[in-house]
Amino acid sequence: MAILELLYYAEHMREHLGEFEQIVLLALLRLGENAYGVPVRREIEQRTGRSLTVGALYRTLDRLEEKGYVSSRLGDPVRERGGRAKRYFRVEALGLRSLRQTQRELAAMWEGIDLKKAHHVL
Amino acid sequence: MSCKWGRIAEYALGDLLEEYSTGRRSRLWVCRQVLSAILPVVNFKLEGPMFSAFWNDIRYAARALAKNPGFAVVAILALALGIGVNAGIFTVLNGAVLKELPTPGANQLVSIYQELRGKIERHVLGSDSMFSTAEYEDYRDHNHVFTGLAAYAPFVQATLGGERPQELWGQLTSCNYFDVLNEPPALGRVFTASDCAAPGASGVVVISDALWRSRFGGDANIVGGKVILNRHLFTVAGVAQPGFTGTEVMAAQFWAPFSMQGALSPAFDFYGGNWSWLTLIGRSKPGVSLELVRADLAVIAARIDASQPNRSTRLDVFRATLLGMPEERQATSIVGGLCVAGAAMVLLIACANVANLLLARAAGRQHEIAIRLSVGATRWRLIRQLLTESMLIALAGGGLGCLLAFPAFSAIVRVIEEHLPHGSPILTFNVAPDWRVLVYALILTFATGIVFGLAPALRASRPIVSGALARRTGGSLLRQALVGVQVAVCMVLLVAAGLLLHGLWVAQTVDPGFSMKNIATVSFGLEGQGYTTERAAAFQRQLRQRLEAAPGVEIVSESRSTPLGDEYNGTQFTIQGEAEPRNVQINWVSPEYFSVIGLPILRGRNFTKTEAETGAPVAILTESTARHFWPAQDPLGKTLRDSDGKRELEVVGVAKDAQVAKIGYSDTIYVYLAPGPKQQTRMQWMVRYTAGFGPTATAIRGAVASLDPDLLVDVQPLEANLDLWRSISRIVASLAGSLGALALLLASIGIYGVVAFAVSRRVREIGIRMALGADGGDVRNLILRQAMVPVVLGGLIGIGGCAAVSQLLSSMLFGVSTYDPMTFIGVPLTLLGVALFASYVPARRAVRIDPMVALRYE
Repeated sequence: MAILELLYYAEHMREHLGEFEQIVLLALLRLGENAYGVPVRREIEQRTGRSLTVGALYRTLDRLEEKGYVSSRLGDPVRERGGRAKRYFRVEALGLRSLRQTQRELAAMWEGIDLKKAHHVL
Repeated sequence: MSCKWGRIAEYALGDLLEEYSTGRRSRLWVCRQVLSAILPVVNFKLEGPMFSAFWNDIRYAARALAKNPGFAVVAILALALGIGVNAGIFTVLNGAVLKELPTPGANQLVSIYQELRGKIERHVLGSDSMFSTAEYEDYRDHNHVFTGLAAYAPFVQATLGGERPQELWGQLTSCNYFDVLNEPPALGRVFTASDCAAPGASGVVVISDALWRSRFGGDANIVGGKVILNRHLFTVAGVAQPGFTGTEVMAAQFWAPFSMQGALSPAFDFYGGNWSWLTLIGRSKPGVSLELVRADLAVIAARIDASQPNRSTRLDVFRATLLGMPEERQATSIVGGLCVAGAAMVLLIACANVANLLLARAAGRQHEIAIRLSVGATRWRLIRQLLTESMLIALAGGGLGCLLAFPAFSAIVRVIEEHLPHGSPILTFNVAPDWRVLVYALILTFATGIVFGLAPALRASRPIVSGALARRTGGSLLRQALVGVQVAVCMVLLVAAGLLLHGLWVAQTVDPGFSMKNIATVSFGLEGQGYTTERAAAFQRQLRQRLEAAPGVEIVSESRSTPLGDEYNGTQFTIQGEAEPRNVQINWVSPEYFSVIGLPILRGRNFTKTEAETGAPVAILTESTARHFWPAQDPLGKTLRDSDGKRELEVVGVAKDAQVAKIGYSDTIYVYLAPGPKQQTRMQWMVRYTAGFGPTATAIRGAVASLDPDLLVDVQPLEANLDLWRSISRIVASLAGSLGALALLLASIGIYGVVAFAVSRRVREIGIRMALGADGGDVRNLILRQAMVPVVLGGLIGIGGCAAVSQLLSSMLFGVSTYDPMTFIGVPLTLLGVALFASYVPARRAVRIDPMVALRYE
């Protein structure tokens, strides 16, 4: 099983996280157990200032789940949602590893960069 | 894949509902979220090949239209008329039937009515879809879906006493009425629990802002002050918010707790008795859907049904609007449906017109299209381009039409409200356009663009065939078919207009079968003025003596309702030997009634004075009623059992048929009854005079004032009863006539355009004919004959549609036959004449063509 996981991991390591996928995973980590659509979207909008559509968020979450980076579970139906259940998400081990990898890569690229001194090459 | 997207949509929808129902986001935000999920264009980035192609199409279309301003203006105006009329009519219907109430949080307000089935003994005030007090309390106390459930009796009349007695319309309401509606008072307070503790406990009233300003000069000291309503002292607890007039189309001027019903309407115990008299309105809890409300209330209804034998209830639960009562909604649906259908026909004619214009224009662009096809443009690209042009025209026409229609229809509604007949209540109608109207106008505009643009676009983008074949294309067939459609639709509209106008003429000029001249009606509401049955009987006796003694008075009579009056009284009678009761309209009348209006008793006898005074169990039928109940038999001596089953009435006379119930109909099932003491609180008088209406009215008012100076009395000529019928028929006929005239204008422009275009295409042919010896008359007749073919065919198809339409209108025709010969012959002839004229003008131009010029024409 460990070998399979490693192979699976190795396969996925070749796929890099998109920028928005990173943001969504980080929002899930921040929210912990209470991470479903509404607070995730609110967290992202408040911290990044971006306006985010519900459809875009759920498409990303679905893609992350397909890749195995997150898993989801259904909550109970809620009256405020017209009797619909909440879908809670949590970041899985694969997702955590991918985030660490991305963080290392970005840190490596950022190292030594001072934006104030940066100049353009025409 | 589709399952996955379905699941995503479910979760997304749940999030949107949660955000909206908890008040964190607005409806607009929700709409944008939904659109962004299904329409990529909302989050369309202004770059990329798709956008640039779209933008190019728009620029090209705009340039093409600018090069042809005449065509663009005509097309835009035609569509503006068609779309504007539709949007305007929808605005009015929206204001009446669809729009939520103009109160805060109105999207949570729910109206409830019921339909009772089975043998149920119940008295009705207003509508049998209303609730009794006991039923209201049951629903109020046992539901799980409302934060509050209120009840009210609409249409309560009361006389405001004082120096200038004034008739008011108001409502009797439950204590929580203003709380449920979320309508705090502008001044003072609304009802508290102590105001409703027991019947007659607390005489408080809340008055409307309009009444406060008009009657009390906007004086803030009115709060806590006293007013007299129906001779009872009420304390003004508060003044409602400006613009708040209740939850019905009819504006309320005051509200009192319905525990004060006995004071305002003492004749019957609506509050404590078995009466259907209350409308229910509830505020649903957040997140509770209409389905949940229906399910919860159905449980209560089933329990009430179980407690009474043979009873079954069907509840009608819907978002509260101004027009709530099922009868009102049904009538509005019928009338509204007809108006929408009529307006849609006008739009169809406009679309056919513009389609014809596009076809004609496309014929002139064949060269351009051929070049574009030859350099590689696909057919789909051309169609898209042509449809973009159509959409631009539709959007311009729709925008212009709405801009003109909204203020125009607002003004029309205001004019109608201001010209309602005497005694009509104030109506409140909010016809300002809202999101529903804008969505409707937008959808209509896009649909219009597709309807008139698609066929010409498909036609114009067809690859060009050889020259010889190109001449005899289906293009002219399509144009003629469009003319036929216009004529058919126009025929239906004009026949409908013709029938309604004929009905209007009947309403204005008909002889109703009884005399209305030199008769005054005298009405007052004794039961609302604290009169008991005995006191009312004594009052009426004394009043009769004074009226008969007044100068210039020939004869007086009493009746519960006057001929063609707006009071309707109905009941059910069972005929001896039958099980099923029959619905009849009834009127209690004194013996002089028939003499006053010149209505002869044809068989049997009139009521005697004693029978009228005691309310004896006798009846006089109309001829039609006698024939209906006992065909080919003598009705005299036969009996009718009343709805309670307690009394048997003997038929003692048969009166001549007359249009006493409804203009144009003298065969209503109608029974006259002897009044007796119980009816005296609600009887009206008719006085036939010789002295002129003015002096007679003064004498009548003087006679009433001598007996009761504070009694508000209304004296009108009997002919004023016709005003209501005439005003209704005027409104309906004006609308139909306007739509018909519009349709005729558009259709004749369409016919003219097609014939003119056909002539322009046949210039060479005409030149050849004339060069070969045909004279002008022959050429003209040829063109006219060919132009009239689609007109005649369309007219014949239209006649078939007319037969169906006339059946739908039968109840509004005041007795005019649904196959009225004058209309069914006159309208086709008129349409034919107009079509001939529209064809004649270009045909005449054709014969003036110089053959030498024509032969060289390209």
